[in-house]
This record gives sequence, C-alpha cells and structure tokens, in this order.
Amino acid sequence: MIKLVASLVLRASVVLTGTALATFALLWNAPGDPALAIALARYNAVVPVEVIDQVRAEAGLDGGFWSAFSGWITPLILGDLGQSSVTGRDVWPELVTAMSYTFPLALAGLLVGIAISVPLALLATQRPGGWLDRCAVALASIGAAIPAYWLGLLLILLFAVQLGWLPAMGARTPAHMLLPALTLGLGVAASLTRILRSGILEARGQHFLPAFRRRGVAASDISRHHVAPHVAVPVVTVFGLELAFLLEGAVMVEVIFSRPGLGSFLVSAIEARDFPKVQAVVILSAVLFVTINLLIDLLYRALDPRIGERDA
Amino acid sequence: MTITVSGLSASHSGRTILQETDVTIRPRERIGLVGASGSGKSTLGHALIDKLRAQGERSVAHVPQSPDEALDPLRSMAFHWREAERASGLAPDQARRQELFAALRIEGGDLRKRPWGWSRGMQQRFVIAMALIGTPDLLVMDEPTSALDPVVAASTMSLLENYLSDRQTALLLITHDLGLAACRMDRLMVMQTGRIVEDAPTQKVLSAPKTDAARSLCLHRSWLELPC
Repeated sequence: MIKLVASLVLRASVVLTGTALATFALLWNAPGDPALAIALARYNAVVPVEVIDQVRAEAGLDGGFWSAFSGWITPLILGDLGQSSVTGRDVWPELVTAMSYTFPLALAGLLVGIAISVPLALLATQRPGGWLDRCAVALASIGAAIPAYWLGLLLILLFAVQLGWLPAMGARTPAHMLLPALTLGLGVAASLTRILRSGILEARGQHFLPAFRRRGVAASDISRHHVAPHVAVPVVTVFGLELAFLLEGAVMVEVIFSRPGLGSFLVSAIEARDFPKVQAVVILSAVLFVTINLLIDLLYRALDPRIGERDA
Repeated sequence: MTITVSGLSASHSGRTILQETDVTIRPRERIGLVGASGSGKSTLGHALIDKLRAQGERSVAHVPQSPDEALDPLRSMAFHWREAERASGLAPDQARRQELFAALRIEGGDLRKRPWGWSRGMQQRFVIAMALIGTPDLLVMDEPTSALDPVVAASTMSLLENYLSDRQTALLLITHDLGLAACRMDRLMVMQTGRIVEDAPTQKVLSAPKTDAARSLCLHRSWLELPC
C-alpha cells in the first residue's frame, strides 16, 4: 500500500511540475511585454520606459525565463504563492476569498447534478427501452450537448428577464446561487445520468445474479450487495472527473453570471498579465485534479481489488 | 417425501423451449438429466427450481456450471457464506461450515479473499458447499464439473456423493457427459427439443435405448473411459 501511494504521489509530482512549467512558458511567450501590461494595470496610465524597467525588475522578469521561473517556483514549493505583480499584495488571501465563492457554487452544482441524475437513472432503468428510458437518454444527450455559457444565458432570459423570479447577476443572497448552480448542475446531471444508467443496466445483467436469486437471496440484498458495488466502479471514475471539471465549469459560469470568484480572479489576472495570480489559479486547478485522481485511483482499487492485482 | 412438480414449461421470444413437463423425484434419488446441447436441460432445471421456490414447500439448491456464475468477484468468500446461510434461514454456525468444508476438502482457502484468490476447483467445491448449507431436499447441479479437469471433476463428485450418502437429499445432475451420468446416477432422463423423451433406470437406457436421442448419446461410449 505504501509503495502504491508513493508511486501515485510521484506521478502526481511529475504532473504538477509539468503543469507549472507549461503555464509559465505559455505566459512568458504570450505576445506583448508583460512588464508593460503590469505597469499599465498598476498605474492605469501611460508610463515612462524607466518605470516599465523598474516593474520588470520588481516582478523578476529581467533575468530571463529560467531565472523568473525559479524565482516563482522555489517559494511555491514551500507554499508561498507570492505577491501580485500589480497590487503587490499576497496572492494567497485573495485566492482564498475567490475560492470561498467558487467552491460553494461547485458543490451546489454537484448536488443539483446528483439530485437530477440519480432518480432519473433509477427511473430509466426500471424498464430499459421504455419511453421513460428513451426520454432520459434523450435528455442526457441534449444536456451534454448544450454548452454551459448558452444554457446560462437561456436560464437568465427565462427566469430573470421573462419571469423575473430569480436574480441573474451578483452573489449577494442565496437566491443568486440558484441559476448558476442550475446551469452547472444540468451539465453534471447529463453525464452522470448516462453513466449511472449504463452502469446499472450492466450490473443488473451480471451473469452470476441468477444464481443468487435461485439461492434464495432477497432481491433487496442482491441490489445492495451485488449490483450497487458493480455500478460504483464506473460511476466513481466519471464522478471524479466531473468533480475536477466542476471547477472549470464554475469559473465559466461565474463569468456569465458576473459572480465574484475564481473566474473573475483569473480573468482580471490574465488581462493584467499578473503572473503570480494566474499561476496560483492554474496550480490550484492542477492540485485539485491530481488530488481527485489520486483519491479515485485509491477508491477504485478499494472497490475492485482486481485492479490492484493486475497492476502488481 | 417425494417431489412432484407438474406443468413445467418455458418459452423465449414467443418460442417454446420447454414443453409441458412433469417431474417426480424421490428422496436420495440420483438422476442424470442428459441430452444434446440446446435440448432444454438447463431450462428444465431452472424451471424446476423456480417452481419449487415459488411453492415454498420443498427446499431446493442449485449449483451452476461454473463458479463464475455463482460468485460475485467483488465479494469475499466469507460474505458469500454468510449470505447463503441467511438465505437458507440459518444462523451462522462455524461447526456446520467446518463439517461441509471437511467433507468437500476445502482446505487452506482464506475466506477473506475474493473468489479469484482461490483455485477453480476450490471455488466450485465452495459453491457446492454453499448449496448444501440447508441440507436441501433437492440439489440441482447444472454441468457442475465442466469447468474442471476430469480428475478434479471426478474427485469433486465423489466427495459430494460421500457427503450425501447418509442424507435424504436427491440429486438432479444436468450434464451432456453421459459417462459421468452413467457412472454415478441411478436414473436417466433424456431430453430432446424441449421434452423428456426417455426416463428409465440408467442401465436400462444404456443397454436398450428406446429413442433416437438416447441412442445418439449412447454411441459416444468413449466418454465412459474418462475418470468419472
């Protein structure tokens, strides 16, 4: 087990290092002078060349790519995300504030997704091929095909503009959470419904189940002990991926609904070429992806130990 | 008490695969249900089990062809055992388990492991032991040894026969292996296209088969040379 965790952690470290390097290289090589962009964002006016050079030096951009990269990555390894190159303030508290808006939205989206997908999949699998099943499959396909930004705009148009039931912009009250959570949750529900439906049908068709029925095992016990664990294996995989992609979806939904959070944090940081802030969001996403994947890997092996055996 | 079931039938996609059939099985009887592949042997076995279970008057147990068809790969052997005890309405009893394990020579198997942690032969003997937990009136075995090599298959059948020798349990062995049935069964039921076409003591069927189905099976005498 220790060997397994060590190998997974090693893999995660490689992914995180690669992500950090790739993001830094992309920002470094983006068109335009980063020092000029920072100076413009900082002073909000045209500035002399000396000031730009001073900004370049302060941001650690004057020593070349590797010098700038090592100047950023070294404190990061110790948990220091650095200071904003525009405001000079620590990135970490600002990031925490942004996360305090984004994470509840992602969680609400996940709950909406689960609340829709679980009953829908259970109803659909009552009679495979029946009209309810076909409706569920159609809904899931439509849900997966609609992009979040379009769905968000449609929901705003219907519930905020036409009906006037819900607020569209901002994050002042819990009601402000409803439309963004619904936008996010419908996308999650689409993919979860599909995987739950196919997982349940496949698990119910396991070739050993008739023997359990003939042995006299109660139908409820068969569902709980022999169907559910087999459904869990594929669902956990998709659920983990959904969890990771929820962050990405939440960022987009925040922009559509003008909510504060990681979305606005990231967009303003990119516009100002604020390296430390952009890097902080990318690293946060990468850490979340890698952590969730690591947990799924472990959970997967706990659910189906044959996977670990095969790897060994 | 004799088991009598009448009117067994089955159809699939509008096609009759088991014609109306009556079956009578006496206690301790050893019956071989033989016939070519697709003749309806397993369907008759399943219909018999389902009907007896639905009636709830007689206890019946089932051993499928392969342990893969009887064991959940995600559950431990201990879990399967506890569940089989519950399904038979019995409280956990270690002495009963030890007796069955000893009788079927299930030795050294770690109950905490999943089925794939055991050998195939041990898995199949475990499935047979589970079927015997409640000392059923009838044990239906559907090609129980076809997934095993002939030597392991023969020894498994011998262990089972020894265990059943002082019990009232009747045995219905579904097989296409006439050699196995001829060696160990008192009575043969020969099936063809969804009906029992011949039902007589084993020696009578082997020495004077009356139907084409029985004659066709008896032609393959080479099976009798294998361990059974």
